Amino acid sequence: MTAAISILALLAGAYLVAVLEGWVSMGRMSITGPLASGAAMLGRESFVPKRRDRVFFEVAPPLLLVSALLAAAVLPLSPGLIVADLATGALFVNAALAYVMVALLMAGWAPNGAYAMVGGFRFLGQLVAYSMLIVMPITAVAMRAESLVTTEVVESQAALPNAIYQPIGFVLFLLAGMAVCFLPPFDLPTAPGELAGGVEAEYTGWRLAVFRLARLVLVVTVAAAVSVFYLGGWLGPVFPPWAWSAAKTLAVAALMLLAGRHVPRLRETHVLEWGWKVGIPLALLNIFVVGVMILVVG
Amino acid sequence: MTEAARNSRSPGRLRHRLRRLVSDAMERDTLRAFVVPGPDVARALGLDLEAAGMEISATPRHASMLVLVGETPESLRRSAAVAYSQIPRPRIAISVGAKNPSPFPEPDFSIPLEQKALERATAEARKRLAGKVLNPHKEEKHAGEERAEDSDGGHASREEPDEGDAIHEDLEDEKARAGKDSDEGHTSHKEPKEHAGKSEEHAEKAETESSDGGRANHKDPEKHVEHESMNHAEMGHDHMDHGDMGFMSMVAMTEGTPRSSDGLQMEWVAAPFGPLFPGLPGGLALTLTLDGDTVAESVVSSAVGMPRFEGMSGSAETFAGWLASLDPFSPVAYRALALRAFEDAAGIAPDERTTLARIGAMERERAASHLGWLAGFGYLTGHARLAERAGKLQLALLRAGGSGESDRLRASGASEISRLKIEVDKLVENLRRNPLLTRRLKGVGEIPGDAEASGSVARARGASADARADDEGYRSLGFEAVVRGGGDALSRMRVRLAEVSHSLDLILAAGSISVPSDSFDYGLSGKGSATVETPRGKASLRLSLRGRGVSGLELHTPSTRHIELVESVAKERELADALVGVASLDISPWEVLH
Repeated sequence: MTAAISILALLAGAYLVAVLEGWVSMGRMSITGPLASGAAMLGRESFVPKRRDRVFFEVAPPLLLVSALLAAAVLPLSPGLIVADLATGALFVNAALAYVMVALLMAGWAPNGAYAMVGGFRFLGQLVAYSMLIVMPITAVAMRAESLVTTEVVESQAALPNAIYQPIGFVLFLLAGMAVCFLPPFDLPTAPGELAGGVEAEYTGWRLAVFRLARLVLVVTVAAAVSVFYLGGWLGPVFPPWAWSAAKTLAVAALMLLAGRHVPRLRETHVLEWGWKVGIPLALLNIFVVGVMILVVG
Repeated sequence: MTEAARNSRSPGRLRHRLRRLVSDAMERDTLRAFVVPGPDVARALGLDLEAAGMEISATPRHASMLVLVGETPESLRRSAAVAYSQIPRPRIAISVGAKNPSPFPEPDFSIPLEQKALERATAEARKRLAGKVLNPHKEEKHAGEERAEDSDGGHASREEPDEGDAIHEDLEDEKARAGKDSDEGHTSHKEPKEHAGKSEEHAEKAETESSDGGRANHKDPEKHVEHESMNHAEMGHDHMDHGDMGFMSMVAMTEGTPRSSDGLQMEWVAAPFGPLFPGLPGGLALTLTLDGDTVAESVVSSAVGMPRFEGMSGSAETFAGWLASLDPFSPVAYRALALRAFEDAAGIAPDERTTLARIGAMERERAASHLGWLAGFGYLTGHARLAERAGKLQLALLRAGGSGESDRLRASGASEISRLKIEVDKLVENLRRNPLLTRRLKGVGEIPGDAEASGSVARARGASADARADDEGYRSLGFEAVVRGGGDALSRMRVRLAEVSHSLDLILAAGSISVPSDSFDYGLSGKGSATVETPRGKASLRLSLRGRGVSGLELHTPSTRHIELVESVAKERELADALVGVASLDISPWEVLH
């Protein structure tokens, strides 16, 4: 029952994010737009490249979806509404998101084409840049909660959300989250102007629909993770807990979608350079500062 | 009994209902269009595809419609036919302002080159797409669909000859010919040689099979382009080989392959980036040999270039119009170039009013062209907001100040130009303060110091090369060449941004916009030459005028020089940087002389 409600909530979130995405990219808000797009996509034929790696090609889009769903499973929507309240929940988010890279690399390799392959390997490089920036801010979050259980992480923010308590970690995690979702300016693997769609380019019809859905679910999941780790998840006055979770998640998703429109796509080298030379030292500093604050303030 | 259960017992009705549903969805869905030769050309011709309700698709595979814009040479239409065959069905093709789309399959409908017509066409296209879902039996066959399909049971009932067949026959012949001519021994891939470099990357492995349950399997041998240097099967990339090899030896895999500059031995892959690549000017056929994600080699040509003129002759009356029609990005500059050469030959000079009106028209074209370049550049670099703003400003500017019927810039036109100038300055200021953009472009696309360049490419490396500086009319308006140092993509962008602003000032100072007309006494004779600063640099023309005819033509265009620079900006660069470098040269493939 909980799982069913969570999945429905996630799909509803993905739908709303699709509406937001349409609004951001086309300037028109259309409530039924994504529904029409999805149904139309199912009605189109779905080619496959002739000399593809059959297994990888078919598995990549569902794997992307599964990866996002797994990460979502440990994120609470309200106090009781969580699919799996793992003792290592916060780390599990990171573990599940690691499969995003596997899925994209498979999608890049499988079609046997240059654009897709460059896109796939670009994402491998991107992972090297962002993965530490997922784990290290989570470490600082877990330090404050003195637990890796996601519900306890939320409760630890009752007095002050982590976004204010540890702003460096918040910004780093948000940026790394955008990189996980390969949203602009981190859309190196899909890069419409450079790779004509990259890893996504060879998918058509219902396979493309699965790929797009998976990406939307991923955006919702990462936004929900940001809300749980930094914005106090379901905590908030007046409205019921689920409403706070939904509002915060959607707000973060909107921010992630909007931010990339005003900057150019980053260069692969810059993503790596800034991830390691700036991001990791800042993440370490964040852990140190949070540690001192816990010792001093309590 | 629920309705669903009833339906499941009558699969025919269920299928019909599903079709109905999908058809409705398709009518409402955003119309994703793949544009040939490219959205840049559509904008230069004054078409606002987004306003007409289309979303531009980077790849034909994610599109449902192909839009063929303007007159294009046959080779490009051939690439368009390949791109069309990669659009998943149901699909639709429209031609906008093209007289003869062959060998492109007969478009579903043709419309004149007007925004209004385009808007009507979008609505019509939605209806047709929805109709194609309901009546898939009427779905057309097109280039690239295998003959086997005809004899296939699934399609046997719809063998009636349709528009697709003409092109089909055509390409079959080509294939047979290419097969005979080719000494590669790839009899199973008798792809016409010319497809190889020109068709999109998708084409090369686009041999597709439909997995759509309702339809017969269709394979597209047509679209399968075999690249000698990009044989993935030999590279152990094919899934068959994964199994055979067991443990993949890296040494064995890369044996005999070229060694890159960093000493790492890797398989080189040749990938076409054009002529229909979304991030580069439409018609620019660029093939990059990738060593990982670094460019090892580049081959560039124009799929839409101008013919060499030497020794050509023709009627003087139609010459200016003909020259102007060759490049959709700068028709005014080429028309002015032809007229100036005529005037030089005849030894006459236009009066001041005409001169100023011409300057107004040329500067509007320059500003619009730079904005169009900026929009394309924004798209390539993933700067969505920039692409959107620059594209809108370009279209607004092309419509501002009238088409040149009246000489003086009317008050409304002048205020529109002033308004646009404010918006342009805002955009320029925004870009200037964008540190990520600066970092992205700095040091990219540098060209060797001794390389021959003109126009904004030359002015972006400190040379004050501008033909306008020698022009009396321009000097009277207070023209000053915009010069910046740096010689990279960043300084090129800055030069063009400053020039857009300066051009708008010049239009206001000139006070009128009038596209040069053909009112000229063609009875005169003599030898003439002229030089004009087109939006891309210095173009010069030499000709002889005698007895209402022109002969002894000699034309030099800036893009012919700049296309030579592609190799140096792309070599040894990471793919994204190479593409930014090539785009920053602002090559118009249309004015490249073969």
